[in-house]
Amino acid sequence: MLRAIFLKEWLKLRWSLFGLLLLHLCLLGYLWLRLRHQFQVEHSEMIWYWVFELRRLLYDQLMLLPALTGVVIAVAQFGPEMLGGRFRLSLHLPVRGDLLVWAWVAFGAGVGALLALLDVVGLYGLIGLFFPREAAASAVLTALPWLLGGWVAYVGTTLVLLEPAAARRVVYLVLGLAFLALLYRHRGYQEYDRILPALIAASLLLVPAVILPAHRYRHRS
Amino acid sequence: MLTADRASRASESASSDLAGAAPPDRGVAAAPAIEVRHLAHRYGSRWIYQDLSFSVPEGRVVALLGKNGVGKTTLIRLLMGYLKPVGGRCRVLGEPSHALSPATRARIGLLFEGHLAYPFMSIAQVERFYGPFYPRWRRDLFDELVDRLELPRDHKIANMSCGQRSQVVLGLIFAQDPDLMILDDYSMGLDAGYRRLFLDYLKRYLDQGGKTVFVTSHVVQDMESLVDDLIFLRRGRAALQMPLGHFRERFRCFAFAPDDGMAPAADGVIESVDLHGREPLLYSFASSEQLAEHLAERWPRVRLGDEQPMTLEDAFIGLTGKY
Repeated sequence: MLRAIFLKEWLKLRWSLFGLLLLHLCLLGYLWLRLRHQFQVEHSEMIWYWVFELRRLLYDQLMLLPALTGVVIAVAQFGPEMLGGRFRLSLHLPVRGDLLVWAWVAFGAGVGALLALLDVVGLYGLIGLFFPREAAASAVLTALPWLLGGWVAYVGTTLVLLEPAAARRVVYLVLGLAFLALLYRHRGYQEYDRILPALIAASLLLVPAVILPAHRYRHRS
Repeated sequence: MLTADRASRASESASSDLAGAAPPDRGVAAAPAIEVRHLAHRYGSRWIYQDLSFSVPEGRVVALLGKNGVGKTTLIRLLMGYLKPVGGRCRVLGEPSHALSPATRARIGLLFEGHLAYPFMSIAQVERFYGPFYPRWRRDLFDELVDRLELPRDHKIANMSCGQRSQVVLGLIFAQDPDLMILDDYSMGLDAGYRRLFLDYLKRYLDQGGKTVFVTSHVVQDMESLVDDLIFLRRGRAALQMPLGHFRERFRCFAFAPDDGMAPAADGVIESVDLHGREPLLYSFASSEQLAEHLAERWPRVRLGDEQPMTLEDAFIGLTGKY
């Protein structure tokens, strides 16, 4: 049964995933070209000064990519369910509604996590090509709030799409954007290190929340 | 003298006859497959039903008929738990409709209005998707129906016509081998040939025994050879439930001559009056003698004519009105 659920998610997501994979690889490729270009046109001392004295991020092009990925995955997964009321088809399947929605979210979050892993490995490798290993590890830690932004954008978009009541949809949208805004307030390296565990814990509250719109969809009056 | 009160009792007795009526060809089981008691629902301030009660016994084919907007689709949404009623209760296969267990949902084949389907799936993919959810999955039935389309298995549902899509969806419902089929306007988009084919499959399905079908359709003439019982939903009036045979036998149409433009009106004895046709007609559950007596009392100068033959569709329109 789980295989059948995942089959449908794969069919909905495959072309979007292919597009996202290309986008992530292109952005990592662009980052590599840009870093290589910097080192060719500037002295290494100057780049060191920018990066470690002025705390300028050389990979901030990646910043919004996870959030965009989260939104695209959620729209590709839940848009077709909500069009024409097709969500009713899923809710009539002989499987518990909450487990079904969590299975969908697990699949979407899983493929999002794979793309996030690609970003982490790519970022670590690229920074490691030009800087010491400590700088590569710091780049990954700096990028973690952006990756968390991908998860928040995914679940937030899911809530907005699944919710049947327009007023609640606006509330979810505002809450999602406010949470995202919290994750993009830094200007240097690893500024979220201490608060990140709390933010991750808060973002996990969104997991039980996704079954509420599904419940309301079924039991609205 | 037949008063409106007496006649409405006549009409009610027709409706209550269902409980005691001998089944035409399939046996009546004890537990109802669907039970609706004092159901009330509204959209905003507009009431759709205020006290709707009926039951669909197991093993029967019951058609829910009514004009557009009387709440047929709303009723199916309530039965499947997609809407929460304002009042009353619905039970489907013994469980409250808003809390159907997965095991019970596996026993219900549900056709959504408009033959709702996943457009991003191909014929083969939709079969692969649905099959594992249903323990009695009959792939052979799905293949049989879908092969008639003569389309490759990788043909996407999105690229099908409405009729082709409906064939795939109906194939999926037959393949579930459900105990209860709820079909919301199954005939939408089907040509006459495929409608007939579908009815043949439905009869084969019913021949297995113990199967219940609750169906809405705009093609009333199809109901004649299919259903055991009828439920008429009428705006602002009580629902009327009776065996098809009783309806065909008792519901009558008479020509009449109006009295200088004055025509009788629906009043409980007379179900409806049609002045739009070439010949004025009135419809009633009362016999010609009872009706003549009633007219003599209320509209003494109106002359009752001959009883007119009716198809089921004529009778449906006669009961629910043209507009």
